[in-house]
Amino acid sequence: MSTALTLYIDRNSRLHVLNPLTKVALTATLLTAGFALPEGWISYSIVLLIVVPLSALGRVWRQLVKATWKIVLPFAVSVFLIQGLFWGSGTPLFSIGSLSFKLEGISFAFLSVGRILLVVSVFMLFALTTRPDTLMLALTHIGLPGSFTYIVVTAIQIAPRFQARAATIVEAQRSRGLETEGNIFRRARALLPLVMPLVLSSLVDVEERAIAIEARAFNSSQPKTSLIKIPDSRGESITRWMFLLLMALAIGYRVIAKN
Amino acid sequence: MKLIESIKKDFNTMTLVLIPVAIAINIAVGQLVFVLKLPIYLDSIGTVLVGALAGPWAALVTGALANIIWGLTLAPTSMPFFYVAAVIGVMAGYAGRLGLFKRSSPRWLSVLVGGIFFFALTLFILSFVSASRSPEGIIPNAVDLVRQYALVFILTTVVGLAVGYFLLMRAGYAGLAGLVTGLVAAVISAPTAAIVFGGVTGAGTDLLVAAFRASGANILASTLAQGTVSDPFDKMVSFLIVWVIVQSLPARFKIR
Repeated sequence: MSTALTLYIDRNSRLHVLNPLTKVALTATLLTAGFALPEGWISYSIVLLIVVPLSALGRVWRQLVKATWKIVLPFAVSVFLIQGLFWGSGTPLFSIGSLSFKLEGISFAFLSVGRILLVVSVFMLFALTTRPDTLMLALTHIGLPGSFTYIVVTAIQIAPRFQARAATIVEAQRSRGLETEGNIFRRARALLPLVMPLVLSSLVDVEERAIAIEARAFNSSQPKTSLIKIPDSRGESITRWMFLLLMALAIGYRVIAKN
Repeated sequence: MKLIESIKKDFNTMTLVLIPVAIAINIAVGQLVFVLKLPIYLDSIGTVLVGALAGPWAALVTGALANIIWGLTLAPTSMPFFYVAAVIGVMAGYAGRLGLFKRSSPRWLSVLVGGIFFFALTLFILSFVSASRSPEGIIPNAVDLVRQYALVFILTTVVGLAVGYFLLMRAGYAGLAGLVTGLVAAVISAPTAAIVFGGVTGAGTDLLVAAFRASGANILASTLAQGTVSDPFDKMVSFLIVWVIVQSLPARFKIR
């Protein structure tokens, strides 16, 4: 039940050892390019020619393709059916009974699926190759308050424990005779007896945690040392600036092309 | 300066510790809903709870970070909607400052809240769906609409009254805040859903999108209609649950 709450896969690759900020810049640039350049095939080419090869470099391409496929497929089916069949007025391509697929709807669906594919695969690439704690640490180095790091890292650590606790509560209440199956009203009635113990029991240890971190000088204004060292090089820093430039170019292209 | 003071007031050590716990609650409640197979998300109970206990700024951080963590660890599709979760948090925080989670309402008020809100929601959805259907985009006269769809209005209003009586009971104030928050969430998330996801969610509510598209509404209007049908109810239930939690908390948690 309590598998670790992370998509990160530990591999020894050139993508894994990059500074997380470089990967943030890469993610932002790919997304901006996909959305700023209007042609539908752009996002498909970014996914096929950049994201998938990069995932191969990070030695996670199998996981990336599998996870992306699983998430995108229901969206794709939905978009093609809904926008293809119910496009107001358009050129009919072929018909099933009284309904017909419209050319305009299909091309819109093609564009949409490309964008979904881009968003999901780019975030997947980032999440599969970046440890959340090093990401937060890198962000702290460029000025993000340390409390954000505390929040994100703690949430990721305690979430599996909470899921396990939720499972325990379900079992406990069932053994007391709470019905968690049956018609929708019966199941809805089971919600409160499950949510209440979960929330109340977790609020109890909030105070203890607060005392614990204050006792460890969490609010001290002195500079803090860290166990993890984040690699960074001059080359990576230059790469990040180039990504920013590319993003500005893509946005500029969009603004000019629109006028 | 007033804004900065108000932000600082929200963040003490207790709040800072509460936020990750709330994010974990969001995730764990999602699992309970999955076990019970309920057709509702309830993925913001922790966020609303922070709003009720620690104010709007702490809840803003909770909502935004909860979605980003979801995105990094479970479902990348929730990442683009982080600003919606942040707004939900802010609205819950202001509801908390107004004391709506502590106050009980008379039951007749809850009935009134349910009836009026469901009537207004029907009017809202039908008017923008009709507007997007007509080629000139004219919003039709409200009286004509009510006359044209009298049966729909009667049905939804009766459902609203029943929701008020049986579900909200004495949480009329919190319920109203939840309904309004849900409406705002639907409106601000629709553009992202339409632009990034082609107007669909890949889940059961897509049948609604299909129905509105088939009736001639455009993509944005259909997405908005889908959101305004499902979101207010979802957030109302979340606010309702937080109201129950706040009622049963020991007094020292409620000092702020």
